Amino acid sequence: MSRLIEVRRLRFQYPDGTLALDGIDFYLDADESVALFGANGSGKTTFLLHLNGLLHGEGEVIVCGVPVTQNNLAFVRQKVGIVFQDPDEQLFMPTVLEDVAFGLLNHGVEPSRAMSMAKAALAEVGMESVGDKAPYHLSAGEKRRVALAGVLVMKPDILVLDEPTTYLDPPARKSLIRLLRGLPQTKIIATHDTAFARSVVDRAVFFQHGKIAGIGTVQEIAERFCWDTRYGTV
Amino acid sequence: MHHVVLERWSRGASFFHARDPRAKILVALVFLVSVATTPMISPWPAVCYGFVLMAAGLIARLPLTAMAVRSAVVLPFSAIFAIMTFLAGNGAKAAELVQKSYFSALIVLLLLATTPLTDLLRGLESVGVPAFLLTVIQFLYRYLFVVSEQAQHMRLAAGSRGSFLASPRRARHWLRAAGGALAVLFARSYLRAEGIHRAMLARGFRGRFPAFHQPRFRVSDGIFSVLGIALLISLRWILQGSA
Repeated sequence: MSRLIEVRRLRFQYPDGTLALDGIDFYLDADESVALFGANGSGKTTFLLHLNGLLHGEGEVIVCGVPVTQNNLAFVRQKVGIVFQDPDEQLFMPTVLEDVAFGLLNHGVEPSRAMSMAKAALAEVGMESVGDKAPYHLSAGEKRRVALAGVLVMKPDILVLDEPTTYLDPPARKSLIRLLRGLPQTKIIATHDTAFARSVVDRAVFFQHGKIAGIGTVQEIAERFCWDTRYGTV
Repeated sequence: MHHVVLERWSRGASFFHARDPRAKILVALVFLVSVATTPMISPWPAVCYGFVLMAAGLIARLPLTAMAVRSAVVLPFSAIFAIMTFLAGNGAKAAELVQKSYFSALIVLLLLATTPLTDLLRGLESVGVPAFLLTVIQFLYRYLFVVSEQAQHMRLAAGSRGSFLASPRRARHWLRAAGGALAVLFARSYLRAEGIHRAMLARGFRGRFPAFHQPRFRVSDGIFSVLGIALLISLRWILQGSA
């Protein structure tokens, strides 16, 4: 089994002095998916941004055997696709089709080929009918799917999703679970939704104050850190 | 959402929409020069230029009233200079200033309303406008939408808590709240803009927006440019004679 991600002693401090990551060691093998749990501000999103080279901390981040540095960002960003928490931040082009093709065009794919690949990616997420629509006309669930298409079209090896169930109603959430389960990519999902995580991944990591406080199955971590909605009642 | 109207207009399908951006830029430039150099003492220049713009708007299937209203956005700026000119005793020059700025705004709006921004910037780049400047314009345009969207959300939130009930007696309180909201608006827009930029970088953005459609200068674009320029030069010459 090949190692897709390896993180060693990762440390990151924001300019305001907040220590967001404090010596993270993490690995992820191919054909494996993992959920990141932890309170708001525990460092999950900051960690995810390092995997794509959007933030650079101390320590080492290796993606598909290549260290993440300024020189190989294009390679890393092709390998790691991030779906951000707020799809409105991700959908910035005038039409859905243009937005999905954005990454391809940036990587030099011919416009006509980018268009057909974007259409195929939209079909993959069941959104082929909205290609000509403006992104702001879509519902939250549709936006999430289109944002996912914009990442899937790049054929990444690793799919990173930051709080993917935020803003979703139960049917949209269910449909996202079905969609993610059908995708072959390795997934890293930051979420508070343990039921969702249980349906999509097997392993879980718990973040606490910028450190990894526990690793195990989703069930083990949810029980150990009382991180299940079932334990949320008082 | 009203801030995306221009974007929607630019996605239309008409004779003007189908023209290459370079052809439209060229004709618009000639129009601007023509308007700027035409003496507007009699009402004829305004009638003629107004007619040309109205015909172009109809061919482009754009809503003329909305176009006319939106172009008026330049009037407060030119009005300041017009008032100063008027106070200096030159009423005719003041009226001329207002007319020229309004027609200039209309032609620029017509260009923007018939050309998607990415295509327009590509066109400007190919006629020699520095790429860095165009990137700045594109970011400005994109983030203008972000700020506008944030402002609309905040207005709704404020309205839901009774901000519309502000009476003249409480104007001071209202102004103070509005000032605070403006500061928050910029802080929130900055954060949102950062998020968007991050999402762009994550998908390989390298400082230049990709164009989906590569513009191609066809024979019809050449004919359009030649006829458009010829019409404007003729008009300019006739108006010079009538003055």
